[in-house]
Amino acid sequence: MKLAYWPGCVSRGFTPELHGAVAKVAPVLDLELVELDRANCCGAGVIAEHNQELADTLNARTFAMAQGVDGAMGMMNICSTCQGAQSECQERLDADTAYREHINGHIEPEGLTYERDGAWWNKNFLWLLVEEIGLDTLKEKVVRPLEGLRVAPFYGCYIVRPTRRLGFNENPERDTYLEQVIATLGGEPVAYAGSHKCCGFPVITMNKATSLRQAGRHMADALDAGADCVVTPCPLCHLNLDLQQPDAERYVERDLGMPVLHFPQLIGLALGLEPKELGMNKHVVSTRDVQKKVAALAAA
Amino acid sequence: MPENYALKIRRFDPESGEPAYWQDFNVELEPERSVLDGILQVRGDQDGSLAIRCSCQAAICGSCGVKINGRSRLACNTLIGDAAAAAKNGAIVVEPMGNMPVLKDLIVDMDAVHWKKVQRVVPWLLPDGPPPDREYIVPAEAMIDITQSMACIHCGACVSACLSLEVDPEFVGPAALAKAYRFVGDPRDGQTEARLRDLAQDPHGIYDCTHCFQCVEVCPKDVAPMDQIMRLRRRATDDFEIKDSNAGYGHEKAFVNLIEKYGTLHEAQLLPRSYGQGSLIRSQLDPNSLKELAGSLSTVINGLKSGKVSPVKALWHHKLPDQKNVRRIFKEIESKDERLELNLYIVGESGDDEEGAMAEGSQES
Amino acid sequence: MPEHDVLVIGAGLAGQRAALAAAEEGATVGIMSKVHPVRSHSNAAQGGINAALNPEDSWESHAFDTVKGSDYLGDQDAIEIMCRQAPQEILDLEHLGVTFHRNEEGKLGTRAFGGASAARTYYVADITGQAILHVLYEQLMKHDEVYRFEEWFTTALVRDDQGHIAGCVARNIRDGAMELFAAKTVILASGGNGQVYNPTTNALICTGDGIAMAYRIGAPLMDMEMIQYHPTTLQGNGLLITEGARGEGAHLYNAQGERFMEKYAPNKMELASRDVVSRAEQTEINEGRGFPDGTVALDITVVPRKRIHEALREIVNVGRDFAGVDITKDPIHIKPGNHYVMGGVKTDSDGRTPIPGLYAAGEVACVSVHGGNRLGANSLLDTLVFGGRSGTHAARHARGHSMPQPSQASLGDEAKMISEVVGRDRTGRRVSEIKRELGSTMDKYVAVFRDEAGLNAALETVQRLKEEAKTVAIDDKGSVFNQDVLGAIELGFMLDNAEAVVVGALERKESRGAQFRTDYPERNDEEWLKHINITLEENEPKISYSEVTMTQWEPQERTY
Repeated sequence: MKLAYWPGCVSRGFTPELHGAVAKVAPVLDLELVELDRANCCGAGVIAEHNQELADTLNARTFAMAQGVDGAMGMMNICSTCQGAQSECQERLDADTAYREHINGHIEPEGLTYERDGAWWNKNFLWLLVEEIGLDTLKEKVVRPLEGLRVAPFYGCYIVRPTRRLGFNENPERDTYLEQVIATLGGEPVAYAGSHKCCGFPVITMNKATSLRQAGRHMADALDAGADCVVTPCPLCHLNLDLQQPDAERYVERDLGMPVLHFPQLIGLALGLEPKELGMNKHVVSTRDVQKKVAALAAA
Repeated sequence: MPENYALKIRRFDPESGEPAYWQDFNVELEPERSVLDGILQVRGDQDGSLAIRCSCQAAICGSCGVKINGRSRLACNTLIGDAAAAAKNGAIVVEPMGNMPVLKDLIVDMDAVHWKKVQRVVPWLLPDGPPPDREYIVPAEAMIDITQSMACIHCGACVSACLSLEVDPEFVGPAALAKAYRFVGDPRDGQTEARLRDLAQDPHGIYDCTHCFQCVEVCPKDVAPMDQIMRLRRRATDDFEIKDSNAGYGHEKAFVNLIEKYGTLHEAQLLPRSYGQGSLIRSQLDPNSLKELAGSLSTVINGLKSGKVSPVKALWHHKLPDQKNVRRIFKEIESKDERLELNLYIVGESGDDEEGAMAEGSQES
Repeated sequence: MPEHDVLVIGAGLAGQRAALAAAEEGATVGIMSKVHPVRSHSNAAQGGINAALNPEDSWESHAFDTVKGSDYLGDQDAIEIMCRQAPQEILDLEHLGVTFHRNEEGKLGTRAFGGASAARTYYVADITGQAILHVLYEQLMKHDEVYRFEEWFTTALVRDDQGHIAGCVARNIRDGAMELFAAKTVILASGGNGQVYNPTTNALICTGDGIAMAYRIGAPLMDMEMIQYHPTTLQGNGLLITEGARGEGAHLYNAQGERFMEKYAPNKMELASRDVVSRAEQTEINEGRGFPDGTVALDITVVPRKRIHEALREIVNVGRDFAGVDITKDPIHIKPGNHYVMGGVKTDSDGRTPIPGLYAAGEVACVSVHGGNRLGANSLLDTLVFGGRSGTHAARHARGHSMPQPSQASLGDEAKMISEVVGRDRTGRRVSEIKRELGSTMDKYVAVFRDEAGLNAALETVQRLKEEAKTVAIDDKGSVFNQDVLGAIELGFMLDNAEAVVVGALERKESRGAQFRTDYPERNDEEWLKHINITLEENEPKISYSEVTMTQWEPQERTY
């Protein structure tokens, strides 16, 4: 499957292990990813907060580039925040013909146009995996079922709300995909209070307490529910849950030590790839225990 | 045709001395009837002590806010057939709303949380000077625009669902801030800047919203409180250049400037610029900024230790190959006098063959 | 014991407006409501509020439309006052901050509404009632010198030995405490009685409390038989589809695809007065030209999409959430449903009832400005004009009086009544059963078309239910938020209301406005151009008559 691929900013910045993991996993899933290396940041909701026309234009530019990739089925992103920010812009672009034409006027000097096309889509890797690749196909490729690994899913707000805008009418189970994938990979999905809540990243500079109390609480809930690790499809969530976890411990007044995996890393482990090549040594909260458990599986 | 539905309702009797508990009931109703109809059937025919606020049964009065299957919503416009289909273990779970103290059964203390916060945003018009002889002359679009905030029925669902409130009970909250926009967006109000300054400077004000979309998701009237909060931020930073001490202005400015410069996010500069009201230089001079940066030092060190961040990365960031196109886009749009905002609440969606609302003239804000 | 110059019972538009007017006069004011003020049923008024504000319009035209709309039963002096005051009322509201719709020049804009000869309905999308109610509540939040007793249930009015109003007894719903309130004046603003009928567009709280309480202390009720059936309500749950839809151009069709209003009101068509449209629809349904579910169709698809979004959002929501219909694409099935009571506690145009110190304003009152039928968008106007006048007049009246001392015995009686109900063993029927039977009886026999046999059957049933209500038992023995015992008290209020409605309908042997008797199908000005009053004497409803005041307009044949 050929796809236009938008890796986002953070995967090439502060979470390079994510970018690397995708590069390793894609070929195993028969994905030909054409990286949009000229495309710009999605705005992460902050640019839309500042100026909607600007955010819509910047994303129309990315969409137009993706639509220009010959033979691509659609566009794939690897970040819940990109998904949500881009879906919001796409909703406005698709809703009003005159508005879309106006926005296209800004990218026309580059020879770009965003076409409203019901058949074209922008999907997060999580959605793509379930809807385009299919869980059956995924299961066939699993060589190392993650038996006994208890994984707590953390979606990230931008990929589960608002449901009206994120295609839940056509795909009502999108807020259960992580659990479904974890189970398909042989692992045990863990239910806990924070799975669909907010990591707090959007307010980390503006109100650290509000931000890290959330991150801390959700990691604590996952811990209390018996999870071995958390998995998330959003690198911004990853930053607040992993990079900030030591700080978050202070706000919830308990030791956490909850490793947070990127979604492609979890897949990679089940597909037989090694933790090191998936960048699992580049986390702030050590993933050593998970690695040990996974290594034991290989032996068994 | 009536069907049998199981309701699992959270009860609490403050006079009993006992903690809250679950009670199971069964009702017979058509699937198109509401969960409220089911609850009223219980109260009318089985247990008159079941307490719930309700009145209009038509999603207008805002009384019957509850949590159904974990989700904050009105009981009267939730179809019981739908609720049963969504129920995880067969029974429809009904609980009182969250983030507010429970008084009895499904009744919460709205005064203690919701109304207190609404009062805090000074929710009455503050015109400059005496009124005119006839009506104030205001643009039609302005009145239509704030109708979205006016549509709020004070049901409390957004307050119940708000994730910031869950960890910060002092957060002014989605309902009150949406109500604040109703005045900020009203040309007749003379205190626009003061209102914005107040809510921007308050550490539990507009910059305490964690941007989680819960309120947008649960509002039965499409008020989209989070969108109203973002409009407040937009007006505070863009129209009035309010440089708050919560780094809200700084964060927005920093992000926007970094994309304009590089095309993608230069995370290493995001933090210091945020604390420096958008400027890297200022971040190193302002004492508050230095304090915040010092507080983030351990995180920076952890990042370096883990190997995910290198000092080179921290200092240098590549620009996009044709970044000049991105800069052109910024210039074209930011240099306009007025911002263009397409509010789908107001214009709806055009069909395939329609030109669209934009063709009839832009919605300026 | 709380003491106020002016105590307002009911915090909808009329109540809040009265409280603010009284406060402006310098009176000490208390306002009491059994629900939080913004839950009051005023918030359901969707379409708009009438005023002859346009320089090309005139208050006389508005007044005439109202007189004609009332089928000449309205008191013309009161109607003139209301229509003259309307423009200033709108401007005052706008100055307070109501977000009225504007035209291209930025001035107040209008929409068309039923029974009007010119477009004079001012509105806020289709949430006009809510918008005004919330803005008035903002003012109450600002003027915290007005005491708000939110979630207090009034059980009885109290008079002193001279027969002057002295206050009331009320229960704090939160903790069950019963309290005696002293007041120099009391303004009833407790709304209508739609819950007497099933289905109804009215909220669960519309149980005719104020009408019954006034009746029980000897105030006369007037024109109680005049019950408005709104033309466009949903089958089954009775939800309202605003007249604004027809104002924007929606059409009515029967099952044969005919735009049937042509036969009944060839000039105004769908915008004839409500009683005319309701009768038209009911006739089509009765004569077999309706749909199998007992409805006709309202087609809103003819209204442009943008306009629907701007001005008819609520209907989009109602259609989607409660009827499974996208009104921008398909017609919606509707039928006439109980909606409003033109009758109520008899007052003059200052809101005074014959009981000194007792006032009433809004739907609870009968001034009468609506006579036999109310025009759409006149109700909001009624509440504000007469709420304001009551508040002002009551405050002035209070200045000349000392604070009464209502007797503790009244508090004792009410407390005893409640403990008796709470302590009763279950021997009789449940409140919900009696209420259901009452509602379906009224909807069957006292609706759009009435006759003697049916009305007698209704009266018999109501009287039997009154007996059964005396032994109704409840489950909740607690003090905190005991909604069960309140339901039992409301049931008593409703039955008093029902009895008055049926008695009035039986008495009026003619058809006028909302009352249509198939056994007396003609309007009979000679014998029946008068108000019917019902007063409680020795526990029985006693009938008397009063004149209709006419200033400018002689009764004419009423066609649309």
